[in-house]
Amino acid sequence: MNLKISAAVYQKEMLEVFRDRRTMISMVVVPLLAIPLLFSLINGFMSSREKEAQGEALSVGVLGDDKLPTVIQSLKAAGFQPVVKADLRAAVEKKEVAAAVEETDDATTGEKLLNVYIDRTRQASEIAGDKIQTAIEKLKTDTVRASLRGSGLPEKILTPFTTKSVNVASEKKMSGLVFGSALGYVVILLMFTGAMYPAIDMTAGEKERRTLEAVLASPAGRNEIVLGKIAATATAAFITALLTLGSMAYSFRFSPQAATAQETFHMAPPDMGSLALALVTVIPTAIVAASLMVAIALFAKSYKEGMSYLTPIVMLAAFPAVVGMLPGLELTPALALIPIFNVCQLIKEIFLGEFSRVAYAVAFGANLVYAAVGYFVAARIFKSESVLFRV
Amino acid sequence: MIHVDRLAKSFHDKKRGIVHALEHVSFDVKPREIFGLLGPNGAGKTTCLRLLATILKPTDGTAEVGGADILKSPEAVRRQIGFLSGDMGIPARLTPREVLSFFGKLNGLEGDRLRLRIDEMVETFEMAEFAHTKTDKLSTGMKQKVAIARTVLHDPPILILDEPSSGLDVPTARLIENYMLRAKESGKCILFSTHVMEEAEYLCDRIGVVHQGKLRALGTMQELRELTGKHRLREIFLDLLEIGQRAEGART
Repeated sequence: MNLKISAAVYQKEMLEVFRDRRTMISMVVVPLLAIPLLFSLINGFMSSREKEAQGEALSVGVLGDDKLPTVIQSLKAAGFQPVVKADLRAAVEKKEVAAAVEETDDATTGEKLLNVYIDRTRQASEIAGDKIQTAIEKLKTDTVRASLRGSGLPEKILTPFTTKSVNVASEKKMSGLVFGSALGYVVILLMFTGAMYPAIDMTAGEKERRTLEAVLASPAGRNEIVLGKIAATATAAFITALLTLGSMAYSFRFSPQAATAQETFHMAPPDMGSLALALVTVIPTAIVAASLMVAIALFAKSYKEGMSYLTPIVMLAAFPAVVGMLPGLELTPALALIPIFNVCQLIKEIFLGEFSRVAYAVAFGANLVYAAVGYFVAARIFKSESVLFRV
Repeated sequence: MIHVDRLAKSFHDKKRGIVHALEHVSFDVKPREIFGLLGPNGAGKTTCLRLLATILKPTDGTAEVGGADILKSPEAVRRQIGFLSGDMGIPARLTPREVLSFFGKLNGLEGDRLRLRIDEMVETFEMAEFAHTKTDKLSTGMKQKVAIARTVLHDPPILILDEPSSGLDVPTARLIENYMLRAKESGKCILFSTHVMEEAEYLCDRIGVVHQGKLRALGTMQELRELTGKHRLREIFLDLLEIGQRAEGART
């Protein structure tokens, strides 16, 4: 194996990659622009929806000002605007009010029952429901407290103890939960997309442009040519991963919405050590993606055909990546053998700061083996006349 | 330099079944000789050249190129040849200098030696004006100059050229013809295919006519004239095709 030849093929392919508009869009533009834009849009949308919901959540339906006067007074004190409606349930369903309050008699006990109507599919209604519950709880306590004053009992018996939940997760861990869960999926998906165009261009594209024959007639061996092509495709995939991670880290750290996001989720921006380790983790997967895509795209006789072969592969790759996003899954040595899933899971655990070294070594080693198998399969296909000269 | 011994190639086609692209063809090409392979489209010329360049493997027979067997030592064969494919095959996003640099490296050239050879090729094939322009912006003639320069850059002793003057204007075709004649004078062995009869008549020391995968005739212009009783190569060629058709008809 003459590595100088593979290096020449690699150099030529990279030159072509950097001059191909389609590849540059998927490899550079999407991670650099789309990720911060998406982050900004989601954040902006969520905060505007939150504000909108908060405003909308202040309307509460009642049957009349004379009905439940004390409750209405408490709701007013909590900032609600009571709106008189004849059919309270329908008013909530039709979004005329965020929630509604009505007093009925309990059929079994005969006691007064306060119904709070809410629509759980609406954020504003959920918020209103919570606020109404708080206001009514306060009214209930105030009422009991007033009764107690006459009886001579101490008010303290109302609150024998209070509860407070304390989050033991560090800000880094919180960051890992939010950042790591989605990141593995996004990185894998974009990496496969970033590798797709170069893989097609170097195989089916070369067949279509009829540039392969001259290379095959040179002293370069098929193994050396494939190695150069896979290395170039893997580089494109890795650059996509690097830019994706970099731009996500930038968005979380420096974008105008970063402070709001960090405050909302109580998390610290991702640290550089975790980012660097995540990048090392994706290297074998970049080679697996490149080998797989080069091998499959070799069967296509045109760029268009190559696209139709590789698009389902990107979707298939997304499946184990989605499984990796599921909460509660831990990377055992056995699960560490599942390609793609293992990388997503490792990325999540790296950002959580609690990955197992054994699982990491197993996953990394397994992915290296898959990469080597991918290379040998691609090299074998590249030696097939019927594949190369399929017309 | 080239010894072709009963070389054959068949492949399976979904619609046509087994196709015999080349049927036990034998010929030799010596150093300081230009050998022309003529034949209509689909005759088997390109298959023959691809087999000799070790891009395809024969189904029967073999050949030696520069003393190396195409089956046993394909890489040794490829080290001695310059192969020009019929489709030119120039990477569209590279400049001619980048194309030459890439193929030079594939052929083991590097450093100053590579740079000097590239400069030489740019001068020989009059490419200075467009040497830094991406090849997708070049005309057919310019691209063909790049393709020929790429083929001969490493100064191989054997040239295998598939339709080197296809689609070229007269001045560019003449530039390439003159290069082939100079290469022959310097001792190279040149095997090429063409559809241009005048070019074959002007350049070739010997001519082989291939039709339906078979070598119908082989010899110098004088020998072919004696064989057919015709004078111009165009008439000789058509006559040989007709004889071939009749022979096939009688066989079936």
